[in-house]
Amino acid sequence: MLARVLLSWALVCAGAVSPLVAQEPGQPTTRAEALARERETKAAALSPPEHSRLERTLIWLENDRLLERILNPAQGFYPKLGNITPGSGLAFGIAFRQPAVLGGHADFNTFAAGSLDKYWMLDATLAFPRLADGAVFADVKIQRYNFPEEDFFGLGPDSRRDAEASYREKGTVVGGGAGVRPTDWFSLSGRVNYRTPRLSDSAEVRIGDLGLDFPGLSGLVEQPDFVRYEVSADLNYRQPQGNPRRGGRYFIAFQRYDDQDFNRYTFNRLEADIQQYVPFLNDRRVIALRGFTSLSKADEGQQVPFYLQRTLGGPDDLRGFRRFRFRDENVLLLQAEYRWEIFTAMDGAIFYDAGMVAPTRRALSLGDLESDYGIGFRFGTINGVFLRVEGAFGSSGGKHLVIRYGHVF
Amino acid sequence: MAWAASLIVSAFLATAARGAAPRFYPDDPIQTDDDRALDASGALSVEGSNGYDFAEHTFFKPGDQSDIRAVNVNTVGEVPDSSWFTNRIGRRAMSIDEIVRGPNQLETLNVDGWPIVQEKSSGITPGYRIVDPTGRLYQIKFDPPEHPEMGTGAEVIGAAIYHAFGYNVVQGYVVDIDPDQIVISPDATTVDMSGRERGLEREDVDRILERAARLTNGKYRAIASRFADGRPLGYFKYYGTRPDDPNDIYPHEHRRELRASRVLAAWLNHDDSRGLNSLDMLEGSEGQQSIRHYMFDFGSILGSGSTIAQVPRAGNEYILEWKPALKTLFSLGLWVRPWVKVDYPPVPPSVGRFEADFFDPVAWRPEYPNPAFDNMRADDAFWAARRVALFSDEIVRAVVAKAAYSDPAATEYISRTLMQRRDKVLRTWLTGVDPIVNPTLNANGMLASENAAESAGVAGAGSRYELVWSAFDNAADADVGPTEKIEANAPTSQAPAGILSNSTFVSLTIRTTHPDFPAWRHPTKVHFRRSPDGWDTVGIDRDTGAPIP
Repeated sequence: MLARVLLSWALVCAGAVSPLVAQEPGQPTTRAEALARERETKAAALSPPEHSRLERTLIWLENDRLLERILNPAQGFYPKLGNITPGSGLAFGIAFRQPAVLGGHADFNTFAAGSLDKYWMLDATLAFPRLADGAVFADVKIQRYNFPEEDFFGLGPDSRRDAEASYREKGTVVGGGAGVRPTDWFSLSGRVNYRTPRLSDSAEVRIGDLGLDFPGLSGLVEQPDFVRYEVSADLNYRQPQGNPRRGGRYFIAFQRYDDQDFNRYTFNRLEADIQQYVPFLNDRRVIALRGFTSLSKADEGQQVPFYLQRTLGGPDDLRGFRRFRFRDENVLLLQAEYRWEIFTAMDGAIFYDAGMVAPTRRALSLGDLESDYGIGFRFGTINGVFLRVEGAFGSSGGKHLVIRYGHVF
Repeated sequence: MAWAASLIVSAFLATAARGAAPRFYPDDPIQTDDDRALDASGALSVEGSNGYDFAEHTFFKPGDQSDIRAVNVNTVGEVPDSSWFTNRIGRRAMSIDEIVRGPNQLETLNVDGWPIVQEKSSGITPGYRIVDPTGRLYQIKFDPPEHPEMGTGAEVIGAAIYHAFGYNVVQGYVVDIDPDQIVISPDATTVDMSGRERGLEREDVDRILERAARLTNGKYRAIASRFADGRPLGYFKYYGTRPDDPNDIYPHEHRRELRASRVLAAWLNHDDSRGLNSLDMLEGSEGQQSIRHYMFDFGSILGSGSTIAQVPRAGNEYILEWKPALKTLFSLGLWVRPWVKVDYPPVPPSVGRFEADFFDPVAWRPEYPNPAFDNMRADDAFWAARRVALFSDEIVRAVVAKAAYSDPAATEYISRTLMQRRDKVLRTWLTGVDPIVNPTLNANGMLASENAAESAGVAGAGSRYELVWSAFDNAADADVGPTEKIEANAPTSQAPAGILSNSTFVSLTIRTTHPDFPAWRHPTKVHFRRSPDGWDTVGIDRDTGAPIP
């Protein structure tokens, strides 16, 4: 019995002591010591944390909000980039904004921009977006522009592509508007502005030759000043606004262009833009539908000048056609898209566009529509699409590649 | 006596034969890893970039991906207390009140009149910083107008659960902000969009409140997070070690508590589990400072996406995952990701988007790859699942009640969903390895242990146990002598006297057979060391077989 007890104690002692006996000199005798030695080894060779150059750059950009401060500051100067009008090409310029002027009620914005195609625009706006707790809004604006190469293919649905010509339009717009916004999704507004469009030679076509190629073109010889009146209603419950996946937008406007000089070019226009977004599969798929119409009617004995007529063709409507390919007093446009989310920042879309122009409202017909179809990809977030790349096919205008900033609708 | 003496001498000589470190040191298994021993005051503050972090983890695979056992566990597979983790639930009894209280030292907090000193400088949730009368800084964050109580509720639930688990978490209190009681310090600052620092004005605060959910009583509910003690040093990465911290010796991607936090993240749908949502704080007195590592920001868990409801993708797919993206692209959307078809039930806005039916713990993933999560093995997951199993229905309900949702339907839905998700986590990860736990050997040589899966109710009866005993040479790290095999219907057994009597260390290899769980055949090896009172459990190793997909 005593031996057994002694043996047990011996084995316990051996188990406890044997690590000490068995180890080489300097070896740790406990786990804690082993870990402490590892830490001491590291302590002798510390170094500061390092970032790669790319990481340092991104940290600087993000923390200092450098891109926002340069490209889209809350106030001050910033570069103006983008289109200033369809067909202008990429324009560059300088812009300035000063929010909360006039006691905090107004925001001032101005820019001057020009493109390599020699389009330029100067614009200054004083907006009052927050009157009556945001229920009332108003703005005044002055704008001067020069569009030197506005494409023109003739009037009507049967205009010919090979009849391509161009003209320069420059002018000034001064005016303002005001409205009420009883809810976030509904507004009523009215606008008045004074416009002074003037046509002249483009770089390639003399304005006189345009008259020879297109005899009787309304408004070619002389251009009056206009006072343009507009009242509109906008019911917009798209969600999210910048890259809608559900909801709809119903916009209607009535405009009157009042010839101030010749009493020859006064006309009215009614426009409606209906958009509907039908989501399924948790908003990861969307059927987007749009119908747009513009119906113009000149006063008795008057005409709608050709340069103020609506057009179809280009990256935002009939994508399979050149910009401004079709022009007339009345327009009908129908667009349908199937959009699917590829991943968070990229959507795909298959689209079909159809539309026509016509001299009279009665001539608009669903049976005579020009059409195209295509496939595209949109890059952006739920807040908006910043780049759209599309291929349009199947039109009488041939294949077209569309690269555009911003959504189509 | 002579033969006893000779045995003693032999024992010494035998163990002297090998000069390498022994398998088990006298202080194994350690309960505390003293990673505050060396002064870390030279550590620098680290900044991070959201874009770089996303790109690095999405397009590259930082960290070591070796399929190895977690490197910071003790010899029985547990995580010692350290600056990263403090064993709470599962180590000691915790009352429900203690679990619900979490890291908070106060029952409630009233911030009326505490001056604003700064607008919140980072993150997407609107907020600002205030100081209490002692000068302690707090961060105030609000709920989005479309989802009142959503983010603040998620924060307090997440903090309580992560804290009970053992992670370091800052104190956070749900508070009501009365706009009429807001005070702005004369020194308060903000940074405008031009990047200039200027004085904070009431208009700036009003702009923040415009983006916040307002209660029917005119106040704003917010979460007030108390800044942790010490000096902030930025965040920790889920891979590598901090090169300027002498105490940080274990690669983070191989720390068990970081790997296994994937289990917790999956359960709570913490899709924003990434390094940038962690916090390193340098604390201590001069000359003896160390870094404490915090889990941080639980506003994007459960059904909350901070400023919006969780998107359907959250927890189901990375932001960028090539395979489903390409399939969707080339099929023109005809191939539909399974999670897109999930039908979320109508719930109160404070719930956000949260469900349990489609939830698959193995398929769950955060916003983008996490190196520690990717290294999680079955033994890491088992370790975490054992703790998840301790969150009973009663505890879950009590924790959710802390969020004080004004709509009882929200409380009920979140509680029920958490319980369902918990049960899935347990069925998945309590059964991925041989689930034998708490093995003990008493002085009479009687083995006792427990089948954790059966105890948690995720496995039915029917297990058979194969127990192979052997003497163990600690110095040589090898079994020695003859083995003896015992088959049993329960994980208890009388150890062979012949093996026990001559040994200081013995090993036991357990193989469990259950018709439903083939992974249990991977053996668990247990080591016992003789002690004055009998035997101490000194080692537990679980063979995990193939890594977790």
